[in-house]
Amino acid sequence: MPVSSSTTDRSARLTRWLVTAPPAVFLVIFFLIPALIMAGASFREPGEFGGLAPLAESGPSLDAYRFILDDVIYAWILAKSFAIAGLTTVICLLFAYPLAMLIVRSPKRQRDVFILLVILPFASNFLIRIYAWMIILGPLDLLYSPVAVVVGMVYVHLPFMILPLYTNLEKHDPALLEAAQDLGAGKWAGFWRVTWPLSLPGVLSGSSLVFIPVLGMFAVPELLGGTGDLLMGNLIKEQFLDNRDWPLGAALSLLLTLAVLAVAGLSAVLTRNRGQT
Amino acid sequence: MKTALVVLLLALARLGVAGDTLYLYNWNNYISADTAARFEIWCGCRLQQDYYSDNEEMLAKLEAGATGYDLLVPTGNAVQTLIRKRELQALDHQRLPHLGNLDPAFANPWYDPGQRYAVPYATTFTLLGYNATRIAELGLPTDTWALIFEPEYLRKLKGKVTVLNSQRELMAAALRYLGHSIGDTDPEHWQAARDLILRAKPYWATFSNSTYIKDLAIGNIWVAHGYSNDMFRAREDARAAGRPFVIGFAIPKEGAVLAVDNFVIHKAARRPDLAHRFIDFMLQGENAADVSNLIGAGNPNRAALPAIRPEVAGEAAIFPPPETLRRLEMLRDLEPKQRRLMSRLWTEIKVK
Amino acid sequence: MKRGFWLWTATLATYAFLYLPLAVVVLFSFNDSELNASWVGFTTRWYGKLLGDAGMLQAAANSLLIAIVSSTIATVLGTMAGISLHRWHPRFMPFLVLTPVAMPEILLGVSLLLFFRQVLDLTLGLLSILVAHITFSIGFVAIIVRARLAGMDESIFEAARDLGATPWRTFTRVTFPLIVPGIVAGFLMSFTLSIDDFVITFFVAGVGVATLPLQIYSMIKVAVTLEVNAISTLLMALTLTLIALASRFAPDTLRKAS
Repeated sequence: MPVSSSTTDRSARLTRWLVTAPPAVFLVIFFLIPALIMAGASFREPGEFGGLAPLAESGPSLDAYRFILDDVIYAWILAKSFAIAGLTTVICLLFAYPLAMLIVRSPKRQRDVFILLVILPFASNFLIRIYAWMIILGPLDLLYSPVAVVVGMVYVHLPFMILPLYTNLEKHDPALLEAAQDLGAGKWAGFWRVTWPLSLPGVLSGSSLVFIPVLGMFAVPELLGGTGDLLMGNLIKEQFLDNRDWPLGAALSLLLTLAVLAVAGLSAVLTRNRGQT
Repeated sequence: MKTALVVLLLALARLGVAGDTLYLYNWNNYISADTAARFEIWCGCRLQQDYYSDNEEMLAKLEAGATGYDLLVPTGNAVQTLIRKRELQALDHQRLPHLGNLDPAFANPWYDPGQRYAVPYATTFTLLGYNATRIAELGLPTDTWALIFEPEYLRKLKGKVTVLNSQRELMAAALRYLGHSIGDTDPEHWQAARDLILRAKPYWATFSNSTYIKDLAIGNIWVAHGYSNDMFRAREDARAAGRPFVIGFAIPKEGAVLAVDNFVIHKAARRPDLAHRFIDFMLQGENAADVSNLIGAGNPNRAALPAIRPEVAGEAAIFPPPETLRRLEMLRDLEPKQRRLMSRLWTEIKVK
Repeated sequence: MKRGFWLWTATLATYAFLYLPLAVVVLFSFNDSELNASWVGFTTRWYGKLLGDAGMLQAAANSLLIAIVSSTIATVLGTMAGISLHRWHPRFMPFLVLTPVAMPEILLGVSLLLFFRQVLDLTLGLLSILVAHITFSIGFVAIIVRARLAGMDESIFEAARDLGATPWRTFTRVTFPLIVPGIVAGFLMSFTLSIDDFVITFFVAGVGVATLPLQIYSMIKVAVTLEVNAISTLLMALTLTLIALASRFAPDTLRKAS
């Protein structure tokens, strides 16, 4: 028996609140407020001994931002970081896609094993895996180079591409692909016309889960990189953990976050324009 | 067997005195498990250690408000920072009967004359470690910063040199090589130092704060800019592994950085009484010698000298003679504006 | 469907890439050398040393506990966020959920520490680490769950509603089974993020509470001993066992989803 519409409305609104509120409230308290505090920090003067100058002594200042915009070197580092992040994302995609496809096409029992095998390496410790790469790349004469940095970045972020891609590919209806092939499409055309477009949400979410963390990462360039491999992550880390310049660190982080949000927003707009399949 | 005994004693000590805990925030491996256990038994309390690997890490956490530590082990310039920020408790010398064990040379450091807040514990120098066999083959000098700054030498060492990933340390080396004090703040001198570094950079393998120890000991790297205790370890490791070469290390003749690590008590320490007992315990000769024997650190404690291993005590780069000491300086903190300038120069060094 | 030659080759190449460093880690955990530069001989003494290293074991236990608890909570909250993002597109949600992912970890760490200490005056400890880990994981789970929901046939939900199902029933009978792989993937991702996190944990860890990454990182200066290889190997073995057990006792969850 159909339920009256007003009750449905109310229960719909209640549902909406019950589902949205808990994560939203948690994030407002433990993310938004702290983030605003740090954003505020970027508009302050550095303290005499490091950290932040007390508000009572010095008012707000744009010094940190002026310092950054004053010199093109920071934009250059940002661009380089984006390039490395982009390269890492593409390589991750190339590795992850065939793997995800194979897992999807496997019988159910095997799928669990395959996924487990993807996750397992990451139960060991990050630093140890990087040290292992140093042992491997050293004799190959690739250590302390941009190649080593990309290898390390790809290695660390691979599961972040595999998992979203897999969860997306898993729900593709095989009938669609078979239909295309019945209609005479070759395997390659079948992939491009059917599978790839359907997988785009997975590709995009996997890409963002790789691209963004790479931008902020400092451990990999620091350990595997050579003398010229400074990325945004290293620069920001230095401000907090070497130079005690919190306003500069906060300002750089804020600019990085804004740049990332801009890219994310752009890609969201682009996918919406393509239309959902 | 010995470890098992220590662990057992430790467990017993903990059983007896659950509530009395002393929280020490320390460099890793600065106190041996033996000494820690002996302290726990002697004082009838528990020692809980957390670790950091850099002064700046410790300061960053304290800056953001982390508390709970009774004792910290900052280097001289960090001591100065903590004193000026009023983060430390004054020491009660009545409770430190063994304070007289300190070498008078360390009794009045610029950052804390008269040990009002800090008791020196260990010293390290920033210097050059090298693969002595290789360097001798190449006929290169080992007592000068030129080894890492001059292209005529670097040409033979391409890709086999690492330097510290620390703006203050690398700039200090460059400034000394150019004949300036490490505390020099003249922007022109800083730019000359930057140019010197940029000229040498293409020959360097990487900036490294810790991996150079292993690289040197294996033979992947032939010259490393680093800390005396790390070089000591590299030498021991290479010898233990039976490598066909010997690791040497020396303080460059132009001068270098001296670092003194000190015990200090945080102003919000819950157990200053235990903290004082700990410091006094560590001032006793036998315990103070521990850090030298363990990691090859220099020692400001006279009473410790008899208990220090001969290969450490006789090493000129760990216990330097007075002429060398005169050429050593300690790092001091910079003003915020200077820090910004240094930060930009460092970024240029890294990127160009 | 067919898993052709090229697909297999590419897959095996990827797995080889993933496991190469691990082979090095596990192998060298049996290396009888202080320096771990080359193979010297077989020994199990690092495992022995590990068992005597109370600090390391405590750190590992802390890491596991934190990972399990924070991942569970983050998965629940993240799934809710993912569903909300997909169904209702509340205007503030994308920003709120995605920015923690976009922000450099170090900023998250410092800002949380400042917040805990100077606004909440909270004593740091296990709880502060838990909260921090949940905060950065929610976004990852939400992104995965949303990707799972995107492109799903909306008519299923409409049909359920037309047939009179309450939102709760729609969720349990229709939505949930369909998104379970996303939820599981999200959980696994949170788990790995948490167990390996160094930067944020560094800032918000309380006195005396060490996690494995913190413990290992603080050993860098002194040169990491092979004890760490040993514990990495053990952790992998433990995770393998846990997941094997989980799939033994709850195989239906994963199967029903497919």
